[in-house]
Amino acid sequence: MSQRDVERFERIVLPHLDDAYTLARYLVRDEHDAQDVVQDAVLRALRYFDGYREGDARAWLLAIVRNCCMTWLRRDHGTKNVISFDAGAPSVPDPRETDARAIQRSERAALTRALDALPDEFREVIVLREIQELSYKEISDVVGVPIGTVMSRLARGRKRLAVALGLGAKEAS
Amino acid sequence: MRCAECTELLSAYMDDELMRDEQEAVREHLATCSECAREEQALAGTSRRIKENLMRHATPDVLKARIRNSLARDDAFTPAPVPRRPAWTRWPALAAAGLVVAVASSTIAASLTRRSLASDAIAETIVDAHIRSLMPGHLTDVVSTDQHQVKPWFNGRVDLSPAVPNLDSAGFLLTGGRVDYVDGRAIPVVTYTRRQHVINVFAEPADGRSSSAHETRNGYHMVEWQSGGLEYWAVSDLNSAELEQFIALFKRG
Repeated sequence: MSQRDVERFERIVLPHLDDAYTLARYLVRDEHDAQDVVQDAVLRALRYFDGYREGDARAWLLAIVRNCCMTWLRRDHGTKNVISFDAGAPSVPDPRETDARAIQRSERAALTRALDALPDEFREVIVLREIQELSYKEISDVVGVPIGTVMSRLARGRKRLAVALGLGAKEAS
Repeated sequence: MRCAECTELLSAYMDDELMRDEQEAVREHLATCSECAREEQALAGTSRRIKENLMRHATPDVLKARIRNSLARDDAFTPAPVPRRPAWTRWPALAAAGLVVAVASSTIAASLTRRSLASDAIAETIVDAHIRSLMPGHLTDVVSTDQHQVKPWFNGRVDLSPAVPNLDSAGFLLTGGRVDYVDGRAIPVVTYTRRQHVINVFAEPADGRSSSAHETRNGYHMVEWQSGGLEYWAVSDLNSAELEQFIALFKRG
């Protein structure tokens, strides 16, 4: 790979690094593991860069990151007890914290717990849709499943979350 | 439309991802069925709460630096048709791509005018050692926040005794020490952290030549100085002002 290719890679792919890291954070659920996975994914992306022609560089990078995360999760890591960073936030509240902030903090912790508890295939579509705001078509490209599958996984994932958050949806299917 | 069918489509309806006629049919059903309307509210509420509360994460500087380094290296291993510019001249292009922390590019000028580090090869090795130390589990051989444990730990492991000042009160926390092989010899490294930034302090016998240097390589700041017959290098992705502060305190002991 020539230096020009590396420069092109840096220009086209690296602007999406925050998206890549965000996806990895929510999929592997650990700050340090996410860093390792993203570094690995970016190097793979560089190696596969010949195969990238035109099109959505973000979806292309996210697909590689997603696959690296899934490989990582399958290599036994996925079964370890996950204590999410946010959920593990200080249990003694800062007395100066306003009520509104305290409520927001506990809400965030509850959401993170609920999301972390979702099966991987639901969690990934939720993150890609709600946090990264991808279209169903883009999600289908990243995850490598038909749009209909994206649709039904999102529906089921959201339903489980609604139940976990006590928002009164009908029983999760 | 029956409720079962509607429930199936609600989520995609919210995302506006249905065919137009399906979208319309769900809308009509929701207007007449309070149970499905409640369901839609629950799902929309869930979706809104996620969007409002869960954040996108910014790539940590340590990861950016690791990636920068591996890209530079990948490049270095590939034969290129024309003489390559040194890796650091590419940082402005990278900054445009949103990758480089502002601090790196702002110090490029400084690194151009003050490239007085004794040997490029040694400087390169030291930055490599710093980057290696950032890999999980590589930072410290002895983990201790106590200078009186870290300093004696080097006895018998290396033939010199580096300064291990306690700089806790200034916010530079001692995290431990390790032995690295640089240029074929074992040298002591003392590690500190400031927020999430790692500072590695390498020590070697001074070779008589008095040099002090500031340099930026792969986005890391390196500073070299002599003290007590030893030559020290501090390497970190910390901004240069704070690194200078650290070194001033370190020299004072």
